[in-house]
Amino acid sequence: MGAKILIAEDEPFIVESLSFLLQHEGYEVRAVGDGEEALAEVARQPPDLLILDAMIPSASGFDVLARLRAQPRSKSLPVMVLTAKGQAADRQRMMDLGADDFVTKPYGNKDLVERVATLLKQARPVRS
Amino acid sequence: MARVPIGARISERRRALGLTQRALAEKVAVSNAYMNLIEHDKRTIGGALLARIAKALEMPLEDLSAVEDTRLYQEILELARGMAVPGQDEDRIGGFVGRYPDWAKAFVTLHRSLQDATETAMALSERVSRDPSLRDLSHQILTRITSIRSFSEILHDFDHLGDEERQRFASIIAAESDSLGRSARTMIDFLEAGGDQFQGSSPAQEVDDFLIDQRNYFPALEEAADDLRRKLTGDEAEKDPVLWLAAVDADTRRRALSVHLDNAELSPLPEASRRFLVASHLAAESFDSLLDSLVDDERLTSEAARQRCKDALVRYAAAALVFPYEAFRAAAERARYDVDRLTLAFSASFEQIAHRLVTLRRPGAEGVPFAFLRSDPAGNISKRFSLPGLRMPRHGGACPLWPVYAAFSTPGRSVSQLALMPDGARYLFIAQASSKGWSGQGQAPVQYSVMLGCEAVHMERLSYGDSFAGRPDSLLAEVGFECRSCRRIACRQRAHEALVPSRDLPAERGMALQA
Repeated sequence: MGAKILIAEDEPFIVESLSFLLQHEGYEVRAVGDGEEALAEVARQPPDLLILDAMIPSASGFDVLARLRAQPRSKSLPVMVLTAKGQAADRQRMMDLGADDFVTKPYGNKDLVERVATLLKQARPVRS
Repeated sequence: MARVPIGARISERRRALGLTQRALAEKVAVSNAYMNLIEHDKRTIGGALLARIAKALEMPLEDLSAVEDTRLYQEILELARGMAVPGQDEDRIGGFVGRYPDWAKAFVTLHRSLQDATETAMALSERVSRDPSLRDLSHQILTRITSIRSFSEILHDFDHLGDEERQRFASIIAAESDSLGRSARTMIDFLEAGGDQFQGSSPAQEVDDFLIDQRNYFPALEEAADDLRRKLTGDEAEKDPVLWLAAVDADTRRRALSVHLDNAELSPLPEASRRFLVASHLAAESFDSLLDSLVDDERLTSEAARQRCKDALVRYAAAALVFPYEAFRAAAERARYDVDRLTLAFSASFEQIAHRLVTLRRPGAEGVPFAFLRSDPAGNISKRFSLPGLRMPRHGGACPLWPVYAAFSTPGRSVSQLALMPDGARYLFIAQASSKGWSGQGQAPVQYSVMLGCEAVHMERLSYGDSFAGRPDSLLAEVGFECRSCRRIACRQRAHEALVPSRDLPAERGMALQA
């Protein structure tokens, strides 16, 4: 069984392309469409990696990350943030909140898949 | 303490003069070993010895005192530290500045430019990130692009996709392309709408905005012009503007003469321009305090903007004097806005009549609402007035299919066009080009083309509309506003790459149909 990846993204076509790519790499992929759902899903079934859109509705990407880092169980969960180009201030804020990597939209598939693999390789055990 | 890197310079100059190190050492009365240390910057020197070396090398002392070099050295050292350039110690930087001072200066200049550009980019980025609408729009656009790119790469990279999957991904690309077009359109509209406010810093733009806000109608000036005209000509003028024109000519002939003496350029002016110029002088003299009070407005934020606006209002008042509002409006209605007929009736130029038509906005006695544009043959726009929906570009770059440009090929003859915009809106355009005055023997004439535009719904009130009556949309001139935001991607007159993808019309129909 491959690593578990949770995608928190409200754009269905982005979810579909990411799911296709990551499943093709052998990962087990789940997706949620807003921030609150992402938090609930992480609590319910912690993934090995969260791909988090910075502009996700409900709880924003910032809130989600801050709340994840405040919880002992998700403190070390690897989080890759999808962010829009030109939002330098957002990237810095996400970095301060403890994001592990940023991928700037529009990204290339190969780059994204490689960075997912790198993050998972570097990841420490997340769950007790 | 910064090292003063003059050793390399001494060494280079010595070699250029064909001196050995020993010979130089002897000339300045030091040992050869000490000179070697100096040339390798192992000894810091100054005072009498530095002066002796400069004299022996036949160079100004300042070139060796290294005040400028020290400043450069310190600046580059600071930059290298700030940029975390690896392997940069003080000696190497000193050597660089000492040996290549021009390169060092160029490096500092380039770095300053980079800093300026970075600060500008950050400021713009800040603006985008602070503005929630722009931020959302840019996110939407980037998300659409991400989908399109990702699925395109999938289609390209994955050979084993089934037909159904391939078809689905292709349809997603098509759908996302459509969404991208809509988002981009929204952003362009937003920027254009907001741009007018954001760009209020230039005097010309502030004046444009001010005139548009006022609907280019100034009742106080109309009233003042009416009063002055009555004073000059009596009530008859209200009934017969041509009669009044004769009267005002008689009255102002003396002024015309004095203007002529002050300004030798006046004499080659055509009669219509001369009359208008005289009226402008009269207006400027008579309405000075009123004009000052009108331009004392918070929308005009600089002296330059207020002066520019005052000049525009002087021309407005001159038009109000020469073309009395009600008489002019009635004549325009009678002539069905035939500008050529009005130029004859009022002994005026096409531009003067067009200008006055744009100001017929008195509540309850409004004329047809017109937009206005004046361009030179190179496409530089010098006057403009927009209507809601029919915006005139601020700078060059209006749609080249507009008749304002075609009119240059038939100067003195009006050209009309019933234009179909990409969004389906229809406008009637009327344009005429002409030369201004006499430029002098062998000089190129000063040429302008002036265009009026109104919504096609007013077409029946205009004589120009007759030739287009009943014409189906398929025979209208398919034009746009300006290239970059135009959806007619395949237009044969396209001058700039479009920002917005097309779902619209084929290129062959983009040619203007001139009446």
